[in-house]
Amino acid sequence: MSQARRGRVLDWLDERYGLRPLLDFLKHKEVPRGGHSLVWYYLGGTTLFFFTVQIFSGVLLLMYYQPGEATSYESIRYLTTKVPFGWLIRSVHCWSAHLMIVSLVAHMFSTLMLKAYRPPRELTWVSGFLLFAVALGFGFSGYLLPWNELAFFATSVGTDSVKGVPLIGQWLLEVMRGGQDVSINTLYRFFALHVVVLPLSAIAIIGLHLLFIQRQGMAPPMVHQRHATARQGLKFFPDFFLRDLLLWLLCLTALVTLVFLMPYGPRIPGIDWELGKKANPLAPAYPGIKPEWYFLWIYQLLKEFPPHLFGLEGPQVALALVTVLLLTWAVVPWLDRRAAREQPSPAFNDLGVAALLFIGFLTLKAWDIGGLRPGQAGLPDAAASARACAFIALGAGAAVTLLRFVLARHRWFVLSGAALLQVTLHGLAGVGYLAAGAISVALAAVAVAVLRRRTPREAAAP
Amino acid sequence: MTAPDRTEPPPPTRRGFIDWLIGLGFTGWFASVAYPVVRYLAPLSSSAGGAVRLSAEDLAKLDRGQFVIVRSGEARVIVLQVDGALRALDARCTHEGCTVQFVPGERVVWCACHNGRFDLEGRVLAGPPPRPLGKWIAAREADGGVVVTRGKA
Amino acid sequence: MTALPWLLLLLAADPADGGTASPRKLPEYLEELFQEKGDDGQPVLSAQDRAKLEALPEHTVQLIAEKMDKLTVSGAPHLKRLLTLDLSPQLAELVFQDNCIVCHTDAEAQKKQDLFSPDPKADGSPAHLSLKEVVSDVHFRKGLSCSGCHGGSPDAPRMTADIAARWPKKEDRKQGRAWVVDFCGRCHGDPSFMRGFNPGLPTDQVAKFKESQHGLLLLQKGDPKAAQCVSCHGVHGILRASSPRSTVNAARVPETCGHCHADAQYMAGYTRADGTPLPTDQLERFKASVHGKALLEKGDTGAPACNDCHGNHAAQPPQVASVAQVCRTCHAQNGALFDGSKHKMAFEKHGWPECGQCHGHHDIQEPTDALVSDAPDGLCGSCHKEHAADHPECNQGAAYFRATIGQLAESHHAFEPRIERFAELGLDVEPILASAAELEEGLIQSRARIHAFDRGGFDLAAAPARAAVQKTEGLLAAAEQERRFRRNGLLGAIGAGGLLALALWLKIRQLDRRRRGGDS
Repeated sequence: MSQARRGRVLDWLDERYGLRPLLDFLKHKEVPRGGHSLVWYYLGGTTLFFFTVQIFSGVLLLMYYQPGEATSYESIRYLTTKVPFGWLIRSVHCWSAHLMIVSLVAHMFSTLMLKAYRPPRELTWVSGFLLFAVALGFGFSGYLLPWNELAFFATSVGTDSVKGVPLIGQWLLEVMRGGQDVSINTLYRFFALHVVVLPLSAIAIIGLHLLFIQRQGMAPPMVHQRHATARQGLKFFPDFFLRDLLLWLLCLTALVTLVFLMPYGPRIPGIDWELGKKANPLAPAYPGIKPEWYFLWIYQLLKEFPPHLFGLEGPQVALALVTVLLLTWAVVPWLDRRAAREQPSPAFNDLGVAALLFIGFLTLKAWDIGGLRPGQAGLPDAAASARACAFIALGAGAAVTLLRFVLARHRWFVLSGAALLQVTLHGLAGVGYLAAGAISVALAAVAVAVLRRRTPREAAAP
Repeated sequence: MTAPDRTEPPPPTRRGFIDWLIGLGFTGWFASVAYPVVRYLAPLSSSAGGAVRLSAEDLAKLDRGQFVIVRSGEARVIVLQVDGALRALDARCTHEGCTVQFVPGERVVWCACHNGRFDLEGRVLAGPPPRPLGKWIAAREADGGVVVTRGKA
Repeated sequence: MTALPWLLLLLAADPADGGTASPRKLPEYLEELFQEKGDDGQPVLSAQDRAKLEALPEHTVQLIAEKMDKLTVSGAPHLKRLLTLDLSPQLAELVFQDNCIVCHTDAEAQKKQDLFSPDPKADGSPAHLSLKEVVSDVHFRKGLSCSGCHGGSPDAPRMTADIAARWPKKEDRKQGRAWVVDFCGRCHGDPSFMRGFNPGLPTDQVAKFKESQHGLLLLQKGDPKAAQCVSCHGVHGILRASSPRSTVNAARVPETCGHCHADAQYMAGYTRADGTPLPTDQLERFKASVHGKALLEKGDTGAPACNDCHGNHAAQPPQVASVAQVCRTCHAQNGALFDGSKHKMAFEKHGWPECGQCHGHHDIQEPTDALVSDAPDGLCGSCHKEHAADHPECNQGAAYFRATIGQLAESHHAFEPRIERFAELGLDVEPILASAAELEEGLIQSRARIHAFDRGGFDLAAAPARAAVQKTEGLLAAAEQERRFRRNGLLGAIGAGGLLALALWLKIRQLDRRRRGGDS
């Protein structure tokens, strides 16, 4: 469209809807520069991109998928074998799901490290946290829809943990499953969730999330991280947007390449979507059954708890712990008072590292890394696995700590140290996981108390 | 307001070339995405229906003088018995595709949607249908059953 | 009211109690035995022995006390031995009611050669005097104890003349074993008697045995080395053939027959009908054969043991034709195909065993395609050279079979990795798998149809197999095409995307330059 015609159309619309302020806003929207790399600012966009791919591929899949006892599995088999490019659409949907979550987690951790959550952007963080929950819900509900063996058992295991919720646990379990056990009724409910409830929620919350960002602008770097010569921000339209588009194009290309090279995923337990056999509720559970990779840490944590603890049921305590951890994560903007004052707050960077180490160790252990010799049958060796995973976690932890120490000049390592201590005690010294955790938490609390006393001027927590 | 752009436009050839390149690239890219999606959405051609054997129920209806509609692949076929002779025609009216019916009293095949009328050979007698109904072949088997096969075009 | 003592008994005799209940008062005689001390000064009977006794019902314990008292045997070590058997209450009744057993298990009262014990070796008694065997013996459990065979009565407090009446004297027993046949046959050959115990058991064993090779040797030639009832069934520990521990259980038959027939020294001097010495390597060959492995290693009782071909009581070297009939009971299709073939007449003429001529008898191996060999020293070639020298089409036929099967097998083998590769790449391999399965089926049928030794019949199975090969090849080619299409599509998409990416990048650079040169 030529400039002149474009101008005429805009004028026509402007007369009716008063678009000028909007256009001016878009023209002036900027991405903050003069601090850390712009790389981090792209991650939200890539998450949105993969989500959009999910919507498109999901709608296409909906045209052939039929939920039902005799049709769920069969329609997907038909789709992937007889429908032209059906294999492509399905594989794109599966790959993009995982890539979206990877991107989401990277986005979440980068906003944590860069403290984008500090006031006035607390609700952006909270809405993002909700989106994280919604994304996990998508993954969990979508997993069951092919109605194959793997999905059936993974869902049985996954929904089982809901029993641990106090008071309403059993009721919640039955409502989720549409009965006592996982059955086709469970699939119908998950289908409704996956195709209507969660998409509407996601779009609503994404809308809010983006609205907040537009209203407040993207988070600038912290004062102490800004360069001496503050540069003007990069224009969003067209500069940043073009870069965004380029990155999305590269993501799409990477996605279809992955689809071609590994149509069923990397074939790691928890990241494998070969259709396999149809679900048979009467068959015994699959050896080596595992939920999807992003749930593995909860699954492993549940396994570490004994049947009873402090007079409560083990799974209940485990779920309570997970809830506490997630809620803490959700309210980080209110906990980090130093960042609120634009002061360096390495404690919360440390929290992020500790979270990664904690979740990473549990995930590796859930995969029995180091516990199975190649081709070995039978149960994996938990102790050997704990050792191997401990080494990996220690290695990663050491590397990250070194980088933080040297590059970012952080000096606060209490939480990541506690995580590494737990991993060391459990993996290398054979202490029980929970006992090691209790010891590490206790020592961390002591360390924090000591640190607080040492810096009385800073009345707020470090 | 920002300072105005430079008054002289940048060399048109280079800027135009890049924009043109974007246009070309976008077209190519869009085609590579649209092609699989379009093929995916195109309905699968079901195999042209083969011979259809009438069920016992349908045979009974024929013997009572009623007409029967059977499916052969995606096609619908109307089978009727008049004066002992079996006839089979395409049941899809050539006007807008409604399913026709047989009116025994008038020995006419009639389409209720827009009052189109066909004779027993499928030729148009009255109404808006532009073309005659396609012919099918209904043959009586040795065991008394009836098999319907596609007639010549 | 009568339930009450039983209830009390149950409460008192609870073995799981582990001794926390107050010890039951045992009959006086037994209590005394518990005081008895051995040479080392320790009580002979332990708390465990007491627990075992207390686990038995009251009347059984009374019985035990009575028997041991009446027979006035010095009891404690004797009782201990009997208790090591860990008998159930029912068996304990049987054992202690029988004076024969009670007496003959007393080491103080018996000579070693007459002593029954739980461990004959340790006590230096003959191996067949094993108490453990006796209590599991099928005759004993049916109530036919010592006196049933040996005569006398279980109630008799001492040896009586009745025993000699039935049981042959030692000299007679040692002379030869021929008496055993009629001894066992007295009951087992009497249908009306056996009906009272096991109506389904055949009663023609003696009649069959008399006609068998073993019977001829034993009864007519008087050869004491020949097998009779006891050689295979044992004497005191006879078990039903269905029991896995029985010497005549299907899985143990080769071992039992091999006891003599695999012993070269024992079998020295025995010859076949034609005078050649009887071989003793059958067991070894059988163990290495496919039937032997199935029976002995996998425990598949569908596989034949010695008696399936040779008969058991009527054991004879099988007639040439009769073995083939046995093969046919399982390998029916191959047998039926063979029956119409030219080999059948030819083999009959030569007096060759039908199946055994090619497949062997004791050492049958899993047939491989190499068996069909038209090479001069191969299976088909070596026979044809001598007996079908003026029929070149015979060897040609063999060559044809060999070549065809070889091609089919090779194709099938080559398909597998290719199919797997396509499955990994995400292509639809269901039709290809179906086609490969058709090929496999055709291959199996073709191999079976060799037994008809006729090209026409063979081709009936080989033709569909060849068609399946063609079809599979076609499907694989189509799959490869699809793979290429996908790959090219991807490359095209990457190309288009790359072009757009390049254009975007150039645009970004251009904008940057403008910004740097111009305003912000």
